[in-house]
Amino acid sequence: MIEKLPAKKMVITGDYAAAYGALLCDVDVVAAYPITPQTLIVEEFSTFVNDGITDAEFIMVESEHSAMSACIAAQAAGARTFTATSSQGLALMHEMLFVASALRLPVVMAVVNRTLAAPIGIWCEHNDSMPERDSGWIQMSCEDNQEVLDMIIMAYKIGENKDVLLPVMPCLDAFILSHTVEPVEAPSSDEVAEFLPKYEPQAILDPDKPMAIGTFTPPEYIQELRYQTHVAMEKAKDVIKKVTKEFASKFGRDYHGLIEEYRCDDADVVLMTIGTVTGTAREVVDELRQKGKKVGLIKLRFYRPFPAEEIRKIAENVEAFGVYDRAISYGSGGPLFIETRHALYGLDLPVLNFLAGLGGRDVVKGDVEKMYEILLKAKEEKPKEEIYWIGTRGVEI
Amino acid sequence: MYEIRFHGRGGQGGRMAAEAYALAAFLEGKYAVSFPIFGAERRGAPVKAFTRVDDKKIRIKTQIYQPDYVVVLDETLIETEDVLEGLKEDGMVIINTPKKPEEVELSKPVKCATVDATSIALEILGRPITNTAILGAIAKATGKVSIESIEKAIIEKFGARLGKEAGEKNALAARTAYEKTLVGVAKGGKEFKPRKKWLPTVEEMPIGGAIATMQTEAGLVGIGSFIENKTGDWRTFKPIINKEKCIGCKLCWFYCPEGCISMQDGKATVNYDYCKGCGICANECPTKAIKMEREVRA
Repeated sequence: MIEKLPAKKMVITGDYAAAYGALLCDVDVVAAYPITPQTLIVEEFSTFVNDGITDAEFIMVESEHSAMSACIAAQAAGARTFTATSSQGLALMHEMLFVASALRLPVVMAVVNRTLAAPIGIWCEHNDSMPERDSGWIQMSCEDNQEVLDMIIMAYKIGENKDVLLPVMPCLDAFILSHTVEPVEAPSSDEVAEFLPKYEPQAILDPDKPMAIGTFTPPEYIQELRYQTHVAMEKAKDVIKKVTKEFASKFGRDYHGLIEEYRCDDADVVLMTIGTVTGTAREVVDELRQKGKKVGLIKLRFYRPFPAEEIRKIAENVEAFGVYDRAISYGSGGPLFIETRHALYGLDLPVLNFLAGLGGRDVVKGDVEKMYEILLKAKEEKPKEEIYWIGTRGVEI
Repeated sequence: MYEIRFHGRGGQGGRMAAEAYALAAFLEGKYAVSFPIFGAERRGAPVKAFTRVDDKKIRIKTQIYQPDYVVVLDETLIETEDVLEGLKEDGMVIINTPKKPEEVELSKPVKCATVDATSIALEILGRPITNTAILGAIAKATGKVSIESIEKAIIEKFGARLGKEAGEKNALAARTAYEKTLVGVAKGGKEFKPRKKWLPTVEEMPIGGAIATMQTEAGLVGIGSFIENKTGDWRTFKPIINKEKCIGCKLCWFYCPEGCISMQDGKATVNYDYCKGCGICANECPTKAIKMEREVRA
């Protein structure tokens, strides 16, 4: 239970927005281990517990692996749970992520995207969350702090949907959101309670009615379970669209489902971005449009489930398609690029990959302009390269 | 939209100042964003924070490269940091110093506002924490936000952390600074050599990032750091070793996080070029042979 909280506008960090979002969702259990730049999230939440604003159980654990284990156990016992992590912490959780999704427990975890060592760094890169692609978690990225708060609320609604029952991982860029303050509108706890009904678990661990989950299971059974989970992830696409629409009509902020199109209508070339680079790319698109260049932008919100159909629909009407990645799958390309090529299979247009901002390097307007410049050129003549390492010293473009 | 860059040292509260300014602008109905640049530094290291203010939602997420205003919380930074870097033609720099604007030496004669925020903070708060006083100076120098909003923001932000009384005292520090701020033009012509930076290409980058001591075009690079980057200027306290009490046990040598202690004739010796003054050596010394004394610089 939480105290009644009025709707208010605050100037807060992305980390605070994540913690406050979890508070508004009246979570029962939070288990977490600190890691920069996530630490503020659970620190803020522990303050809410200390101040008596919520009676949630706050469990301090000895590692991220245990944090996820505790959330899984609590969720299986019928609780709504929340945790947060980054980088090394997420890597250490890896094993348990698969348990949460396979047991169909809609845990929500905020991931502050931080570069995964080596060498050690604390800044933004997506090489921590993207390798969790196959873990069965719904994974999405936020553009600003408002979206962080809103997405935590939507994450529970999506994950707890009876057709889905999957854990959800809203991601936010290290420092660019996690430690940046900006105005955020928070709905009242009553409004959130109307939007997000009490969690009704599909099965509860109960000593009076014993059951077993995740026990030793021979090959006769597992394939059906995998299929179920895959179907649930596919069904999540419609649920995400529905929940986003419902959120928009209740709170007035529309996130447009799996992707958001920005000035794509008559675009010749389109760039797809993820995370905070989207905000900067919007500025660049507006400036290029003023100069008469027909450029568009897709903000990719969900990496899993991947919105292949939505992206293909837009690509069918453009002459070159660019994909921005903040991570590299060594020996192939950016994870989103690989995924997009798969989605656009058979379409006759250049699909190019832009890598920038790895290790937390600032992605400036000039970098995004360069991406559009390459795309506009690719529309005229066949490009020599498919993958462009923007701003990498000693690598010619 | 206008943009502000704050220069301070770790622990001086530059980030809080940048955030409180954003809150003050927000209280006046503006959209404001503020963020720090974090490094692996600690107390005393040069740090930067940024604030952007606009009438409409701010979408851009990059750092600030062409600020309208630069705020310097620590005057000593003028010597080591390129505080005027990227400052717009008609931009202004606001400095915590007892000097008048005309007496401040910078590389260019730019618009300049000065206030002795340290003295104000010492007088009102009893501590040399200047991040609230400087906010009053920004309000006066820029005229972009009212002193009343600054006071409100300070009471809200600092009051929540430090208590109501401390919040009000900090607001008073801002008000006092507001009244004492002088606006003019700085003296130009000072030679400033920006710190060189080693930026290797893919070819030059050691495989696996294995950094041994080596010569680069920017100078000698040591294990993970610049040898020329003498971090001794981060220090506020200095370890003084009493050689008579030192028994040569090497505990200080073992615990020093910077590798600044060496043993000479069986006694501990500090390399003050790099010692950041953390005081761990003094804390660990079993014979209390190390005393931390306030750093005095010429």
